[in-house]
Amino acid sequence: MEHKLVDHLFRHHSGKMVSVLTRIFGLSNLDIIEDAVQDTFIKASISWRKEQPEYPEAWLTKAAKNRVLDIFRTLKAQKNNLPDITQGTDAIAINELFLDSEIEDAQLRMIFTACHPQLDPRDRISFALKTVSGFSTKEIASALLTKDETIKKRLIRARKAIQKSAIQFNIPQGKDLYARLESVFEVLYLIFNEGFHSNNKAQLIREDLCSEAMRLCKLLLKHKQTRLPESYALFALMCFHSARLPAKTSVDNEVLDLKQQDRTLWHFPLIQLGNTMMHKAVETEDFSCYHYEAAIAAEHLRAHTFKDTNWNKILQWYEALYALQPMPSHLLTMAVICIQNKDYKQADSYFKQLLPQDLEQRAYLYYAAKADYYMVINDMENALTFIDKALETVTNSLEKDFLLKKKTDWLKSTNSF
Amino acid sequence: MKNFMMIFVGKEYTDLGLSPEDMQSRMEKWFAWGSKMESAGILRGGEALTPQIRRIVGENRTVTDLTSAEVKEIVGGFYLIEAKDFDAVQEIAQDFPDYDLGNTVEIREIMVFDR
Repeated sequence: MEHKLVDHLFRHHSGKMVSVLTRIFGLSNLDIIEDAVQDTFIKASISWRKEQPEYPEAWLTKAAKNRVLDIFRTLKAQKNNLPDITQGTDAIAINELFLDSEIEDAQLRMIFTACHPQLDPRDRISFALKTVSGFSTKEIASALLTKDETIKKRLIRARKAIQKSAIQFNIPQGKDLYARLESVFEVLYLIFNEGFHSNNKAQLIREDLCSEAMRLCKLLLKHKQTRLPESYALFALMCFHSARLPAKTSVDNEVLDLKQQDRTLWHFPLIQLGNTMMHKAVETEDFSCYHYEAAIAAEHLRAHTFKDTNWNKILQWYEALYALQPMPSHLLTMAVICIQNKDYKQADSYFKQLLPQDLEQRAYLYYAAKADYYMVINDMENALTFIDKALETVTNSLEKDFLLKKKTDWLKSTNSF
Repeated sequence: MKNFMMIFVGKEYTDLGLSPEDMQSRMEKWFAWGSKMESAGILRGGEALTPQIRRIVGENRTVTDLTSAEVKEIVGGFYLIEAKDFDAVQEIAQDFPDYDLGNTVEIREIMVFDR
């Protein structure tokens, strides 16, 4: 009798229903649709207090279907030109849109809408999390460490862009498909990274973002047109990173770097899944940046201990990645790898191609890496100067604690001489 | 044993813009609370109320229709339970899921009339 609901049932269902209803009523009615779906959940959350239905998901879908009729009446009252969906073939067609495969199709359309070039790149993530994933503005704000107001503005801007350019609710075809897919990959990658690298103290939110990105990426893999080597590579990358999530923070919620992580906590099934995905991803000649990133992540997982890490191999992958995507953060990483590999000359040559401001708000990572560099070449004075610079510029408290601890350890080690 | 009513007063979910995730977790807490009282054999009844209000006031029987959004507080529902005294009900009321929304539980004893 007492059965717990599937985790995130409401959230996921909200994303599904908003997508399906948008397919029926069009993007121009998104506001009405979102309100209607919200109402369904309020109704469920109150009427289920006493007794949960035997098939909660079916209940919600039915409620959403009934909402279709309510919305239809609302729209009809506003004198929109709508077909009569309450009877006949249209009614049958609508029932079919609620089949699982069609729901997934509708969600894909919504993802593609969120990634439309007419939307500002910053607004895409918020819009996707709201409409496809069923996050509230407050949840998005806390996940992205932004203010509620900022997210509200982004959502309004996204909606305006959609209305203004009369974006169609579909999956683009031909050449447009690939261009749009690039943006879809990017948005999913960013959502995942927000979760994985997030500075957010709340572990739950981080995991939510990662699993959400994976869920959406899986949708890409299910659809014939979007099942590309690059999609597999992105999914493999997410699997490899997620496998390490349980080991990423200590019991006291401290950030642990690869060196300190307890490798027995890595989630083996996800590594296996990642490997399978990777096999499918490499059935191509052209490797994307996701291919290289996944290869790097896999290389880390291959090492039983930190010492066993094959840094040469990783450096090779990074060189390839940098050639494809010349980002300053890759240079910094390569410098860090060379430090690990005790190739200090090469590390220095990477540092020389970099300026702290290239890394913008992550400049502290540059200072911290340089501090490490000076430490290993026994230049304590410079090491301390740079770690202080890192401490001045770091904003995230977990990272700050991490750096402070490092500094204290260094000071202790010198005092003992 | 006496009978008590726990009356839930405050804001409606409709007016708070709660997320689906939040609603699910609240609903699960309500459900758990209800089951707990039921298995303890103290639950005598209870209902949730819709947010529509029709108010009739004064000599002239003036009628106003309101929704929860237009009033400061609204009674959202109630439970009827059997308990020893106010303290026992207070203990039971600890599990009310919506204190963090600023909502209130009001405990009232059901009056018993002598025959």
